[in-house]
Amino acid sequence: MDRPHLTCLRRTSTRLFVAATPILLLATTVTAAAEEQSGWINTARVPLLIALVLICGAVIAGIAIARTGRPLHIRKLAALDAVEEAIGRATEMGRSVLFVPGIQDMTDIQTVAGVTVLGRVAKIAAEYDARLEVPTARSIVMAAARETVRAAHYSAGRPESYNEANIYYITDEQFGYVAAVTGKMVREKPAACFYMGAFYAESLLFAENGNSIGAIQIAGTAEPSQLPFFVAACDYTLIGEEFFAASAYLSGERDQLGSVKGQDFGKLLITAAILIGCALATAAVFMPSLTDAASTFKAILGG
Amino acid sequence: MSSPAHAVPSMLEVSKLRYILATDCGSTTTKAILVERRGEGSAADAGSWRQTQRAEAPTTVEEPFADVTIGVSNALTEIGELAGRRFIADDGTIIRRSHEGDPNGCDLYISTSSAGGGLQMVVAGVVAQMTAASAKRAALGAGAIVMDTIAANDKRKPHERIQRIRELRPDMVLISGGTDGGNVQQVVQIAEQIAPAKPRPRFGGEYELPVIFAGNADAAPQVRAIFGARGEKGFDLAVVQNLRPTLEQENLGPARDKIHDVFLEHVMAHAPGYDRLMSWSDAPIMPTPGAVGDILQRIAARDGLNAVCVDIGGATTDVFSVFGGVFNRTVSANLGMSYSISNVCAEAGMENVLRWVPIEMDERELRNRVKNKMIRPTTIPQTAEALVFEQAVAREALRLAYVQHKEFATTLKGVQQQRTVGDLFSQQASGQSIVNDMTLDLLVASGGVLSHAPRVEQTASMLIDSFEPQGFTQLAKDSIFMMPHLGVLASVHAPAAMEVFERDCLVRLGWCVAATSAAGTASRHWGKKCFTYRVSGAVSASGELTCGEVALVRVGIDQEVEVVVEPTKEFDLGAGFGKSVVRRLKGGSAGIFFDARGRPLMLPEKEADRKAAVARWDAVWST
Repeated sequence: MDRPHLTCLRRTSTRLFVAATPILLLATTVTAAAEEQSGWINTARVPLLIALVLICGAVIAGIAIARTGRPLHIRKLAALDAVEEAIGRATEMGRSVLFVPGIQDMTDIQTVAGVTVLGRVAKIAAEYDARLEVPTARSIVMAAARETVRAAHYSAGRPESYNEANIYYITDEQFGYVAAVTGKMVREKPAACFYMGAFYAESLLFAENGNSIGAIQIAGTAEPSQLPFFVAACDYTLIGEEFFAASAYLSGERDQLGSVKGQDFGKLLITAAILIGCALATAAVFMPSLTDAASTFKAILGG
Repeated sequence: MSSPAHAVPSMLEVSKLRYILATDCGSTTTKAILVERRGEGSAADAGSWRQTQRAEAPTTVEEPFADVTIGVSNALTEIGELAGRRFIADDGTIIRRSHEGDPNGCDLYISTSSAGGGLQMVVAGVVAQMTAASAKRAALGAGAIVMDTIAANDKRKPHERIQRIRELRPDMVLISGGTDGGNVQQVVQIAEQIAPAKPRPRFGGEYELPVIFAGNADAAPQVRAIFGARGEKGFDLAVVQNLRPTLEQENLGPARDKIHDVFLEHVMAHAPGYDRLMSWSDAPIMPTPGAVGDILQRIAARDGLNAVCVDIGGATTDVFSVFGGVFNRTVSANLGMSYSISNVCAEAGMENVLRWVPIEMDERELRNRVKNKMIRPTTIPQTAEALVFEQAVAREALRLAYVQHKEFATTLKGVQQQRTVGDLFSQQASGQSIVNDMTLDLLVASGGVLSHAPRVEQTASMLIDSFEPQGFTQLAKDSIFMMPHLGVLASVHAPAAMEVFERDCLVRLGWCVAATSAAGTASRHWGKKCFTYRVSGAVSASGELTCGEVALVRVGIDQEVEVVVEPTKEFDLGAGFGKSVVRRLKGGSAGIFFDARGRPLMLPEKEADRKAAVARWDAVWST
């Protein structure tokens, strides 16, 4: 869905980011220099400056390349491709689709990412004429979810099928919310369950219940401690960063796609630094002559 | 399948059958074969079933004759002349043998038909990738051509669907949708769109359009109310078991059987002369592709094979496959060698067609050639250049048809997955293709451009280039497109059909032994060592192939050899990367093709290199 005010907002924020980055970098280096010794530049932090310039530069370059219209490849995410299949299953079985946007408020970035995925789920559900239920644990999340689902129904050309009563608030209390949702799952047996957002102890309770009722389950969270539960009990799981990349993948918005590419470059840089550091540190144990090189590399990284 | 409309004559039990006539009534030609049990004696094939004669005559289903039996009589008269027996009486009927020593007549007559465009169907379901896909599989498996697939998520508005249904003139409609106890509302909505559209059948003004409902049993009463009783609203509704009772299970059998029954009762009964033909036939007349699929399934089941059969025609290309006992058929409606040749060039791109041509060709002249073939579909290549071009087009048509087949022949969608933590980074989506080229055992070719290629090596190389088999794959061709006849024969006398299939139908070309590499890496290994091969036994040969090379070792049909292949660690020949394979193989009319070009097959990018490579392969496989 292309909304002009949102596009304008994104462009403005990108410009601000581009303008602010060098100022921020310079300020960081200069401030550090002022704190430690008299002088304008703290040379010890120069490598950090280079790394920041590279990463931010990659993000800016990614966005610029995306805006030229050059196609940017983002790996297929099986979990997102399976959304249609899960809703199709619910449609064929004449059952509902359940979407749980986590238990945190809209201040948590995971909830924001979850609501983005909700937009996609709601649009497909509207196209298939499947009933979508969204129980929430926060009132603000309920309001955001209602707005998202309403927009999705309009976008699908099915405004008449939108029913705001299907998106409701239960309680802020963690296990009270879990009890209500799992009870509903056991009673109504939804054929497709989505868990997208921040989850804690309730993750396995949801996923196990969903598994026991034979639903196709798709989860997405950035909570590392909950991922194994989702992976084992759900059909598909968006793991950590994938969950955030999903937003770019789903929207197809060029700025988002470009920034994902830039961030990928940053991750690659950090991974390479870790690998080189490990190799040097290990080699230094056996070859003392490399100890200096290992220390220098560590110092470069600010260690 | 339903019981035969006309039982095998009791006077001659199956064990006493000796002369069997089979016809395949195609759109343009009616092809007849005589299958005969050899007399007892000392001959090598004494007592065995053989196909002894073949004849053909123009099909007469259209005006001015408008009677399919005229063409059948002509073909059978000709076959009688060849066999020295009379099969057609003066009144135009088929003569039956009255006693063991009767010098005239046959014991059994059977037929398939694809005349008048074959069986044309519209299928419908709730979700295109689920129940609608199952309905399509049922229709295609029964030998139908699917004109359109209606689904609740096909992105068309109700009035657009109704308009589309009105434009089509199907022979029957298959409606599915909803699991048992599942969706009723959308299934009923589909029925409500088809009923007022009132699609008009192709044959007969008083013909009631057959509708088969194979969806949610709970929706059946409402669907019955919509289509009304027979003679009430112009529909003849039949309700069979749900073809997706649960999403985890596909039950195509009852729907396929019903399609066969309805094909006989309605479609055939209204086609010109078919009522007479049905009275002659001792077994239900089958749609031609259905019969081909039937014999392929029987052979695959008997020998435990994974098999693919392709039939490339003028307008369409049919691909049949059996993998792990699961049968699939696709019809690529716009890929063919005459009426559809222009579409093949458009869809594949002229550059893809020309990559198989090792000689200089003027593109303008080629375009003229393509258009000429479209308007004169029965012409055959007159020059070597024209033949090279036609075979290049065939390669692309076959490749595209196989790609479409792979996309269609998938595991069921909408099925719950069982995961472990080990699946963390390898979450495969459902609906993956079940077609696995590495496990393919038998590849059968049929259709003019393949069956009538001047040399068997050309047929084999076309199959290898377009299907890109991996590991060890046996290549064969249907000698005279006899598989439809044998498919229908198998429904009456399976042993005879199997025997004729082995002895006379299949021309075994040989084997393809091809190495595969990790996806997209073939060109990287170009010029590096790929595998060594050693052939011993009736024929001895050995060699080493670098990536991009091919070799052919001549091993005759009756010769048996042991083949040892040892790939490098970047290549796999079926046992894993770098692991050697030992197989005992029987030869064929061409021999054993060793293919070290890697998979997927990549041709050199530079034109001069590409032409040199294609010419080199052609030369190796022609020696």
